[in-house]
Amino acid sequence: MRDVIEQIINTTFGWGWPGWAISLIGYLIVAAILFLIAPFQMLFLTLFERRAIARMQDRVGPNRVGPEGAWQPLADGVKIFTKEDIVPDSADRWVHLIAPCVVVAPTMFMFAVVPWGPGMVPVDMNIGLLFFFAISSVSAVGLMMAGWASNNKFALIGAMRAVAQMVSYEIPAVLSLLSIVLITGSLSLVDLIAYQGGLFISSSDVAGVPDLGLGWFIFTPVGFLAFIAFFIAALAEGERTPFDIPEADSEIVAGYMTEYSGMKFGLFYLAQYVLNFLLCAITSVIFFGGWQGPGVGWLYAQAITPANPGGGWIFNVLAGALGVFYFLAKTYGFFFVMVWIRGAYPRLRIDQLMDFGWKFLIPLTLVNIFGATIWVALTKWGAAEGLAIVEGWSPMLRWAVAFVVTLALNLGAYLFLARIFAESQAERLRVDDEVLERLTNVA
Amino acid sequence: MTRAIPLEAVLVVAAALFCIGLFGALSRRNLVGVLMGVELMLNSANINLVAFWRYLEPRFITGPTFAIFIITVAAAEAAVGLAMIIAIYRSWNTVNADSVDGLRG
Amino acid sequence: MDLLIQIIFGLLTALIIGAAMMVVTVRNIIHAALWLIASFFGVAALYLLLEAEFIAVVQVLVYIGAISILILFAIMLTRHISGEGERLLTRHWWAAAVVALGLFGAVLLPTLAGNAWGIPLPTGPAGTPEPLSGVEELGRGFVSEFLLHFEVAGVLLTVALIGAIVIAFEERSRRRRVLTLAEEHTLNQRQKASAERAAAAADMAD
Repeated sequence: MRDVIEQIINTTFGWGWPGWAISLIGYLIVAAILFLIAPFQMLFLTLFERRAIARMQDRVGPNRVGPEGAWQPLADGVKIFTKEDIVPDSADRWVHLIAPCVVVAPTMFMFAVVPWGPGMVPVDMNIGLLFFFAISSVSAVGLMMAGWASNNKFALIGAMRAVAQMVSYEIPAVLSLLSIVLITGSLSLVDLIAYQGGLFISSSDVAGVPDLGLGWFIFTPVGFLAFIAFFIAALAEGERTPFDIPEADSEIVAGYMTEYSGMKFGLFYLAQYVLNFLLCAITSVIFFGGWQGPGVGWLYAQAITPANPGGGWIFNVLAGALGVFYFLAKTYGFFFVMVWIRGAYPRLRIDQLMDFGWKFLIPLTLVNIFGATIWVALTKWGAAEGLAIVEGWSPMLRWAVAFVVTLALNLGAYLFLARIFAESQAERLRVDDEVLERLTNVA
Repeated sequence: MTRAIPLEAVLVVAAALFCIGLFGALSRRNLVGVLMGVELMLNSANINLVAFWRYLEPRFITGPTFAIFIITVAAAEAAVGLAMIIAIYRSWNTVNADSVDGLRG
Repeated sequence: MDLLIQIIFGLLTALIIGAAMMVVTVRNIIHAALWLIASFFGVAALYLLLEAEFIAVVQVLVYIGAISILILFAIMLTRHISGEGERLLTRHWWAAAVVALGLFGAVLLPTLAGNAWGIPLPTGPAGTPEPLSGVEELGRGFVSEFLLHFEVAGVLLTVALIGAIVIAFEERSRRRRVLTLAEEHTLNQRQKASAERAAAAADMAD
C-alpha cells in the first residue's frame, strides 16, 4: 500500500514528499476504507440475523422494503437518525453523551490488527492479539458509564451484569488463546495465520506436508478445546444468547441501553454488531486459518511481494480476492452459528453464567495450556531443551504421539470437570432447596 | 522520540503526576479516592521506569520488566484495597477515611 | 517530525496532568474515577510514544480493563452515601498540599537549574540504539534472569486473589436472599398448604 502511494506521488507526479506524509496518507486511506466497511457490515448483519432467526421460528421476517427486505436496514437507519434524542432529566448529561462513543471507539480500533487476506492487514503489530483483547476490554468502561449516567435502576443493573460478564469471560478467552500462542510462539495475527498452512497437519509442525492452506488449529486436540472455550467466551463477550443477560428484555427492559434513544441507541447497536463480527473474524483467524485455504498460498507465491519482486500483479489481485472470500465465508459462517444458537437456546441465569465461567471454563482452559506445552515439547523440542528421547523419532511420529497424548489429556480433563461441575450444581440446588424449606417452616 | 524530547521533560511529567497522586492520597476523604491517588503514584513510577529504560539502557529489558512487576503489584493492591473498602463499608456504613475510627480510645 | 512528536507529547502531558488534577479535585467520585481512566489512557499513549508497545497494551489491559472497572464497581457497591453535600477533603488538606507542592518543587528546581544529577543523555555517536520492546525478550527475561521475581509476583497475585475474596466475602446465610418468582410461588403454595393443615388440625382438636 505504502509503496504504491510513494510510487504515485514521488515518481509519477514528482512531488518528492517526505516518508512520514506518505505513511500518513496510506494509513488514512486504510482507515477510511475500514470505517466505511464497518457500518455496512452491521447493516447487512442485522438483516441477515433477522431473516435467519425468522426462518428458525417459522416466520418470514422483514420482506417489505426492497427485494426480500434488502433495504430494511437502510429504513431502520433513517428511522434511527430522525428520532428525537431524549436525555432523562436526572441523567448525568456529559457522561450520558460520552458513553456510546466510548463503547463504539474500541470496536473500531480492533479492526486495526485483523488480517483480511494475504498481505492485507492494516497494521501488523507483533502484539496484535494482545492489542485486540486489551482494546476490547475498554468498552466495558463505556457500558458502566452508560448504566450509571442514565440514573435508572434497570440501566445500572444491566451495566453491572454486562461488565461482570465481560470481565469474567475475558479470562477464559485469553487463556484459551494462550495455548495457541504457546504453540506458534508469536502474538502477531499474521504469524498465526502463516502457521496454519498444510493439510490437516500444520506444515510448521511437520515439514513436508503439502501446503493446501488447511493446517488449521481446529484439527489439533489443543486447538479444538481452545476453540470451544473461546467461542463460548466470545458469545458472552458479545452478549449473545444464551449469555444476553445484560439486556434481558423480559427482566430489565434493555439493560444499559434503556435510557438511550435515537442515534445514541444506534451507536450501541452498531458497537454490538461490529463486536460480534470481530469476534467471529478473530475466531476464524485463530482457529480456522483466516484467509488460508486451497489455492491462496500458491497464488500468493506468484504475486509481487517483498520476497518476490518479480511476480505478476494479477496474482496479487487473485490471491487477495480468494483470501478475502475464504476469510469472510468463515466469519459469516460463525455469525450464522451465533444466530443459530440464539434460535436454539434459552437464556441463562446470572449465577449459572458466573459458575460456568469460573468453575468450568477456566479450569478447562488451564488444562489446555498444559496440553499446549506437551504439544510444543513433543513436536519442537530436542536434546538442546533436555528432551533427548524424541530426538530420534520421525516428525510424523512425534506429531502422532503429541496428538494422542493431548487428546487423552483434554478428553480426560473435560469428562472429569464436567462431572465435578454437574455435582456442584446439584449440590447448590439442594442447598437452595433447603433454604427454601427453612423459610417455609418458619412461615 | 529521544531526540525530540529531553528525558527531563518526561521525568517532570512523572513527578507532577506523583505529586498530584500524593495530594489525592493524603487529602481525599473518600477511601476510594485515596486508592485512586495511590494508583496515580504507581503510574508515575512506571513512567519513570519506562523513560529511564528508553533513554539510558534500551538494550536491556530491566525497565519494562520492572514496569510489569509494578503493574502486577498495583493490580493486587487494588483488589485487596477495594475488598477492604467494601468490608469497611459493610461494618461502618461509610467510606470516609476520618469516620472510620473504631480504635480511638 | 520532531515538531509533530513535541506537539503530541504536549497534548498527552496536558491530558495526563489535567485528568489527574480532576481526579483529586472533582466532587463526584464517579467522575473522579472516569477522569482517572482518562489519565491512564494518556499514560498508555505516552508509553506508545516511548516505543514501549507491550507496556502500553498491558497498561490498557490491566489499568483500564481491570483496575478502573474494579474501582467503579467498588464505588457503586458503596454508593449509599455518595458524599455530595459533605466535605470533599480532610480537615488538614492544606498540609497535604504543602507536602505535594514542596516535593514537586524539590524535583523541579534542580531540573530547571540544569543537569543537576549529571545523567548523560543518550546522544552518542552510535545514533539511536535499537530498543528491545519485543515480547520475546521480555518472556525470556521472565524465565531466566527475573525468574524469582516472576514467581514472587505470581504468588503475590494468588495471595491477593484469595485475600480479596476472604475479606469481601459475605456468608451465604447472612446474605438477604432474593427469591425468584418460581420460588416465591412455591413458598406461597407451601404456606397456604401448611395454613390449611393447621386449620384442619384445629378442627380435629375441636
